[in-house]
Amino acid sequence: MKFKRLIAATLLIASAGAAGAAPNAQAILAASDAIRNPGKPFALSVTLVEYRNAKQTDGNTLTVYSKADANSGQFRSLIRFVAPARDANKLMLKNGNDLWFFDPSSKASIRLSPQQRLLGQAANGDVVTVNLAKDYQAQVAAEESVLDGDRQNRRCYKLALAAVSADVTYHRIEMWLDASNSRPVKARFYTESGQLLKTAYYRRYQPQLGVERPTETVIIDGLDPNWVTVMRYGNYAWREVPEVWLQRDYLPRFKPE
Amino acid sequence: MRALVLLLAAATAPALAVDEDAAALLLADKTSTTAEQSSDWRVYAETAVRESRRQGAGIALHGARVSIDARFDKTFAPGWRAVFADRLDLNRMDGVPGNRDINTLKEAYLSWQAEPDSIVDLGRINARNGVAFGYNPTDYFRAGALRSVVSLDPASLRENRLGSAMLRGQALWNGGSLTALYSPRLADQSSDSVFSPDLGATNQRARWQLGLSEKLSAALSPQWLLSGGAGQSPQLGLNLTALANAATVAYFEWSGGRAASLAAQALKSPGDAAFRSRLSAGLTYTTPNNVSLTVEYQYNGAGLDQAGWNALRRGPAAAYAQYRGFVANIQDSPTRHNVFLYAVWQDALVKHLDLTAMVRYDAADHSRLQWLEARYHWTRVDIALQTQLNTGQSGSNYGALPDRRVWQAVLRYFF
Repeated sequence: MKFKRLIAATLLIASAGAAGAAPNAQAILAASDAIRNPGKPFALSVTLVEYRNAKQTDGNTLTVYSKADANSGQFRSLIRFVAPARDANKLMLKNGNDLWFFDPSSKASIRLSPQQRLLGQAANGDVVTVNLAKDYQAQVAAEESVLDGDRQNRRCYKLALAAVSADVTYHRIEMWLDASNSRPVKARFYTESGQLLKTAYYRRYQPQLGVERPTETVIIDGLDPNWVTVMRYGNYAWREVPEVWLQRDYLPRFKPE
Repeated sequence: MRALVLLLAAATAPALAVDEDAAALLLADKTSTTAEQSSDWRVYAETAVRESRRQGAGIALHGARVSIDARFDKTFAPGWRAVFADRLDLNRMDGVPGNRDINTLKEAYLSWQAEPDSIVDLGRINARNGVAFGYNPTDYFRAGALRSVVSLDPASLRENRLGSAMLRGQALWNGGSLTALYSPRLADQSSDSVFSPDLGATNQRARWQLGLSEKLSAALSPQWLLSGGAGQSPQLGLNLTALANAATVAYFEWSGGRAASLAAQALKSPGDAAFRSRLSAGLTYTTPNNVSLTVEYQYNGAGLDQAGWNALRRGPAAAYAQYRGFVANIQDSPTRHNVFLYAVWQDALVKHLDLTAMVRYDAADHSRLQWLEARYHWTRVDIALQTQLNTGQSGSNYGALPDRRVWQAVLRYFF
């Protein structure tokens, strides 16, 4: 009996030691989510500038209102188009794969499939907040130095993320998180067949809503690296987002002050 | 040798990626953004020139149009919102007696949101239902709403129309809502006067509608409607959408109730009231390069079947014209079975070029309406070239339209 206890205690100590040596990938990913995403309902503005062969080809401004679902932990978002003028006040509602587009001129609420893109290179899922730890299973693939968005070498954990939910924009992600503070540094997004779709750099860290957060994402197309989108975030604010806002029938009603 | 090339390629690939990433980051460094402010106004001016060729003789007619379209939507006090939408079309056409200038007062209403989950609206409101693209059986307030048709694109027909004067209340809860509206009788006759609000077109009789939406699961959120009014039996409606896969949305729209056939209504013939259904069912598939293709089947149980349609076409011209005019005014289909195809390709081949194609096919007489638009847009300016071809036998659904071919060039400026 004493021998069995001794073995159990030894196994416990050994497993604790192993846990200490290998970082918990899911915990690091969750910590990185908390850096990108405020913990309470909020609003922010997103400016997208798109380049082809170093020439600006498009520009959009959006306001995003987000709130996490109490059950799933995943964010639901209402996106209001601000500019250009032709798209002003159009809306998009994203609740997982439930995507709706609303045009106030025609009063038409149109359901979109995840493959339909409204914003050029950026997938609809790129412009809204996502808690990756809720949708992906993470593993530490390596600990290595990479060039960050400011072209500085940074010691990172490279996480391999595999989708556990069908309601995701990307099937597989490689993500580099700063080993010292879990800040997202860089990510690569892949199709189911393993083709590189996009590379993203997270940069311009600034204090926003109490935490140093990346206020810019640079997205580089996987097939055409000369296709680049710069997404800038600003006007962060805590913002109550009532549950009734997050449904199709509220879209014609949505008019925040 | 081949192995050496492959090795070299493998060795240089990461370096190339790093260079490309560095170039992209340099571009981002140089990016300056100005925070655009949201506006309560959306205003654009549009000018168009067109050439049309009549069926048969093929004589070319020319026309021009200047339009101004304004939409204002402002929260002027906590919980209070004012909405105003108006369009003025100045038309000059060869061969048309008198030049029709038309103002369309699309919407003008006040909205009071006493609580986040309860809202009351009063005024002229474009109350639109329906998840289908080409034919909306549950869009009960479409009858008489078209005052000026500037394009046959369904999106334009939905946008450029009259709302109905009504009182509307809505209660919302997590995942659902209940809407009730009442639209009174306010006038007897439609008006051609340029600046008439034309309440006679939309409020010739009292009407009401109830709408209930309830989320049944993460994937299913049906909308039920019940609509009625003076001189009609209540009609039940259903709107349903589902995600077939990551690239495909399926939709189903149905309306049914006791009603006279369109022929009996149009020709004032003896009542033939029976339970009649209308439906639209379709799929929208989006390709990886963002081309959205929609195919839609349309059924109108109140329209004429093939035998009835053929008989009407062979019969007195006055009855035929009366039926077509009545059906067009209520935006319905004259025949039972129709097919609708719609394709949109955003950024087609070059950035900012959108191509839209539409085909309407009448299964009763095999006539077709084909419409194609190429639209290029800058930040504030759109240019579009549209063409339309109506084909079919004489007296067929689309073959009887006055124009066989229409070309239209449009220039739009957003202020």
